[in-house]
Amino acid sequence: MIQFKKVSKQFGTVPVLQDIDLHIATGEVVVICGPSGSGKSTLIRSINRLEEIDAGEILVDGLSVHDPSRSLNALRREIGFLFQQFNLYPHLNVLDNITLAPRRLAGQSRAAAEARAVALLEQVGLSEKQAAFPANLSGGQQQRVAIARALALSPRILLFDEPTSALDPEMVGEVLTVIRQLAHQGITLVVVTHEMGFAREVADRIVFVDKGRILEQATPAAFFRQPSHPRARQFLQQLTSPLHLSEAST
Amino acid sequence: MKHYHFDWSAVWSGQPLTWLLHGVGVTMLLTVLSCLLASLLAVILLALRFVPWRPAGWLAAGWIQLFRNTPLTVQMLFWYFGALPLLPEGLRNALANGPILLGLPLPSSEMLTAIWSLGLFSAAFLAEDLRAGVRAVPFGQWETVRSQGFSTWPALRHVILPQALAHAWPPMVNQYLNVLKNSPLAMSIAVAELMYQTNQIESFNFHGIEAYASASVLYLLIGLALSQLLQRLGPAPLHDKGVPHGR
Repeated sequence: MIQFKKVSKQFGTVPVLQDIDLHIATGEVVVICGPSGSGKSTLIRSINRLEEIDAGEILVDGLSVHDPSRSLNALRREIGFLFQQFNLYPHLNVLDNITLAPRRLAGQSRAAAEARAVALLEQVGLSEKQAAFPANLSGGQQQRVAIARALALSPRILLFDEPTSALDPEMVGEVLTVIRQLAHQGITLVVVTHEMGFAREVADRIVFVDKGRILEQATPAAFFRQPSHPRARQFLQQLTSPLHLSEAST
Repeated sequence: MKHYHFDWSAVWSGQPLTWLLHGVGVTMLLTVLSCLLASLLAVILLALRFVPWRPAGWLAAGWIQLFRNTPLTVQMLFWYFGALPLLPEGLRNALANGPILLGLPLPSSEMLTAIWSLGLFSAAFLAEDLRAGVRAVPFGQWETVRSQGFSTWPALRHVILPQALAHAWPPMVNQYLNVLKNSPLAMSIAVAELMYQTNQIESFNFHGIEAYASASVLYLLIGLALSQLLQRLGPAPLHDKGVPHGR
């Protein structure tokens, strides 16, 4: 479904992606983890070309995302993207946030788009918030609306870029619960996250990235029991006991 | 001056009152039509910045610099005495003889020139306010709407411009009020607006204090009404959306 072939990218002289080879199957749930600045976000943002790559090729459904015969906007409509900062449209209420793309891009009638939006809001547990504006919602509620918005065009791929990193700790659970319900329903999920509990429970595969390279790919069971790469071991140690950090790095 | 005899009826009755009221009407018409033209042009100037062909953006920038850095009086006299005579003679005669468009009588060529001048001048400032409003929209909004598969124009229309307008509205109201306050310059090309009529009253009966004081109050009232109207028409501030007590 999604294939990276020798993908590289630099910001100035700093390499952010180096020779990335990755194949993600249809319906698979892949968690991408690694230290900050390792290139995780760039990796998934290059799939729908929010970032442009310098070398290599990214294929979606066997066709390069840069193929001239392919409409970028059509590609993006098939890929739901969730941002760390939610990015709801502040001038629109919850219902209009969700129905904007179905009505303006897919040509759905207001009634059809709203019926679907109401169902999606029920799915994310926010039925009573249809008329609310984003400013009046908590972070967790905003991110759940953003999930409903990302699902509105029935995408076959969902990309989550640190969906819980901007949330207060007590709101992380409600968002992860909604994301977990989406897993293994046929949609391909690629999630950049530091939530290792979520990764262990939901992911089919963990991809560990550092300094723009994929250092390890493993099932959660294997990855969390004994990561093979020393950098991954160190990363997990730091996550589980941050105070151990200074000793681990010496 | 201590023997000056105030006589407000010298302004507020008879022929002077007729002149005054006529002036108020012309000033309001001139202001509203110039504001509409300026708004239309400002949107076009803003849109040029998003045309994926660099010279279009340069054209907008150059246009704005030209019109905001030269005096409005010079512009108005240029259009009236410089550009108007360059029009084809048939069109010029039609304008001079009470022009008719689609069966409706148009204002005089002086009035049209004044609307044109005020509109072009004010559009430069409105366009910059709008541009500032667009820049105030977080980049994440662009990324999000593009990630949904919107191309530039629908993204602008449905997501970026409504937010930009909410940011830009307070300074834009300033510009619309400036149109009103710049409108007396139209008397330099013989548009019989409020200031022109006030001068006429002063020449007629020498009651200048009453005449100019009355005109000042009338401008104040029109300005207050205009700002109230614009604040009501304009978009609510974004952070107040849905907050009943926030306005």
